[in-house]
Amino acid sequence: MPGIGIPPLEANLPPILKRNYGKWISHEHPRPGVIKHDSENGEPCYTVRAGMPPNARVSTQTLRKICDVAEEFAEGYFRVTQRNSLEFVGVPARRIDELIARLAQMGFPVGGTNRSLHNTVCCTGYLHCHLAATDPPAIMKAVSEMLLKEFQNDCLPAKLKISGSGCLNNCGEASCADIGIVGVHRDLPPIKEDKLKGCELPLVISVCPVGAIRPKGPGMIEVDPKRCIHCPACSVACAAMAPIGSPDGDGVAIVVGGKAAATGNGPAIARVVVPYLPNNPPYWPEVTDTIRKIVDVWTAGARQDERVGEWIDRIGWEKFYERTALPLSFKVVDGYDARALEYAKSNVRFRW
Amino acid sequence: MEKIKLCCARCGFTIEEYRADEIASVPRKAKRYKYLLQKSSICPSCLASGRLKEVRVMEEAGPVAAPTVEPKSSAAPVAQEEHAESPTPMMDKISEGAWPSHAAELKKTKYPVQMYEQALQKRSTQWGYGGYVSLPGVAAGVLVRASARPDLSKGSNFLRIMDPCGNFFKTDAMRSLCDIADKYAYGLLHLLSTGGDLEMLGIPTENLKPAVDEIVKLGFDVGSTGDDFRTSEECIGPGKCDLALYDTLGFREAWYKRFLDDIQYPRFPHKVKCKFAGCPNDCVRGAQKADIFVCGVFKDVPTIDQAKVKTWIRKGGDIVHACTRCPGGSMSWNRKTGLTIDADSCMHCMYCANKISGVRPGGERGVAILVGGKMRGKYGPMLAKVIVPFMKAEPPDYKEVFDFLEKITEVYDEHARKKERMGDFLLRIGINEFFRLVGVEPSARLFGQPRANLYYHWEPEEIKDERKEIKPATQEK
Repeated sequence: MPGIGIPPLEANLPPILKRNYGKWISHEHPRPGVIKHDSENGEPCYTVRAGMPPNARVSTQTLRKICDVAEEFAEGYFRVTQRNSLEFVGVPARRIDELIARLAQMGFPVGGTNRSLHNTVCCTGYLHCHLAATDPPAIMKAVSEMLLKEFQNDCLPAKLKISGSGCLNNCGEASCADIGIVGVHRDLPPIKEDKLKGCELPLVISVCPVGAIRPKGPGMIEVDPKRCIHCPACSVACAAMAPIGSPDGDGVAIVVGGKAAATGNGPAIARVVVPYLPNNPPYWPEVTDTIRKIVDVWTAGARQDERVGEWIDRIGWEKFYERTALPLSFKVVDGYDARALEYAKSNVRFRW
Repeated sequence: MEKIKLCCARCGFTIEEYRADEIASVPRKAKRYKYLLQKSSICPSCLASGRLKEVRVMEEAGPVAAPTVEPKSSAAPVAQEEHAESPTPMMDKISEGAWPSHAAELKKTKYPVQMYEQALQKRSTQWGYGGYVSLPGVAAGVLVRASARPDLSKGSNFLRIMDPCGNFFKTDAMRSLCDIADKYAYGLLHLLSTGGDLEMLGIPTENLKPAVDEIVKLGFDVGSTGDDFRTSEECIGPGKCDLALYDTLGFREAWYKRFLDDIQYPRFPHKVKCKFAGCPNDCVRGAQKADIFVCGVFKDVPTIDQAKVKTWIRKGGDIVHACTRCPGGSMSWNRKTGLTIDADSCMHCMYCANKISGVRPGGERGVAILVGGKMRGKYGPMLAKVIVPFMKAEPPDYKEVFDFLEKITEVYDEHARKKERMGDFLLRIGINEFFRLVGVEPSARLFGQPRANLYYHWEPEEIKDERKEIKPATQEK
């Protein structure tokens, strides 16, 4: 029976971290994919970071192999970081090369530290979700493949985080990444009358952000096609209004400039720069091309330690669109809520 | 002894059961029971959604027998052989390349690969409606997912397992989890969901309870679904970081001890996500994702070890560039005096401590509490708002902080509407009203910037003579 809570802290913490708990004094990046921490006791701790399959989906077969590696090199412990990369902590300095070679043999590239592409984060997409408008794991696989050099080398101005969500629910946290992809629907939700009995109609009406759902006679609702913003809120609340979307209606929006840390210009939510790109499995070339373009322009123009959002803040949206040559659309300033006018410009401080 | 069972109205599957005296005496269970009665739920057995039926039965007192779950093969996710062997051209393409592929991983398991293959070919998902369900004794942690393609898969349930501290896994524990996944599920693990849990995919309905029991025997626990505290996410903190300003891992352990009931028994208006970051670098993205975000902060100016800074410069550190990147513009470098940081303009953002070896965060450390961050909700992504700029985090029980978190959830519980995230709730009632309800003192550190428009409301009680000069001395006589 549940009720026992999480395993105690000591149970899963490697001995080297137990010995130096809270005693760390500095860190450095000796080479891409490796972080070195120094403690007061004078004991260095090397961490080797590797990429993982998108969405951190791992079969038990592969996991057992990872366990073997952890037992051989890292005293039998491994860690999954907040960005879904795989970390082996406390690797002896002389065995780092051996570990990297071993991981390469298993198909896990080592990198993702300091000023490089960090491992991608995404939601489950088509793997296991009924709301997905696109398949972020497959897109992230294509993006990681394209930016493999950037993952394995510290060759970018600052760290680059790319995330993907399959729909506007944003489980894949695209809005807090430097470059995010979000699946968008463009169809109205269906209303399956036979299933509507199982729904809590007042809830369905109240979850709509724009009030596009309204009652139509007893036990029946309708959707205002002019108002609908195609978010899947009603599809989550009611089985009769799922699934939303169609092959040609669904697609991908690109957002840029999200960031969590307090450094630089502080935490920011990513802004939409491309409102729609079509779904094109298995490689999504339109999406990867756009991301490539943004990364290239950013790499060429940004100063050191300047994240994508800070770079855009400095050069302005005029220059961003000019350099990336992305198609312009009023959809990126269109707001449905009270903050709509925030998105328009209210001064004449232009950059020409 | 009288027992009250909450069953599916269609198939009679027991979703949860209580002792009658429990409901009268334990307020938490009573609240949960009332909540479940009002709520429309999805049955894990027949996937019908609707109100639950209450069944009262008399049972003999004594050791509680293990609740029997009727075997029902209808929802069993069986990978069908003929489809597993059929060609998967799209997935083969995704499996290629130097980066590890999820498609290749799927093929090593019992996952019905045609569901994914067909989705890629048809450019739309093949899964159907799903939701959170409860099993007898397991109030949270189980999700069901129906299939839109009954010919390929019958649907797939999964369990959410709360991850251990710092997302560290001992290999023995992980191997045992793999064994459970192989025995009961597809053999596919989602090592870290963006909410911070480990997910085990593809468990047939009749195996859900045995799988939960085995996971619990192993020392892990399930939870984090529905309208409750979701699994906390926390950074590695003092475990492996030199920047941590409080003990995030200890804090998390204490949080689980104190709030375990709220984590495993859904009763809030909507989910509440708590995230704990050790410093303003915010590795857990709490500023965007957390309804309640506890962030380590410090008050003093960062400490500087001039000798170490000089060594760092000698090794190739660009100190002039670092000074220009300081957001407060408070760092200055001079060959004679070394590096100095101006106390008035320092924002305590951690930039210098991140980049320059020899600079470390200063003393007077504690936590700030922010509320209302979210990725979606009703009105889209929102950054969390500061509600307490500084509070001491005192181990081992962190009473002051946890009491305050409880106060926030009480206000939220009482005033928010159903399915309204904390951020939407703030937007509806206004941040000043929220400050009043929770009871915090005004502080300049709570304001981004004061308002520009002058339209605000005064209560009649607030109107009184506030002139300073009037000395009603004569009237007193």
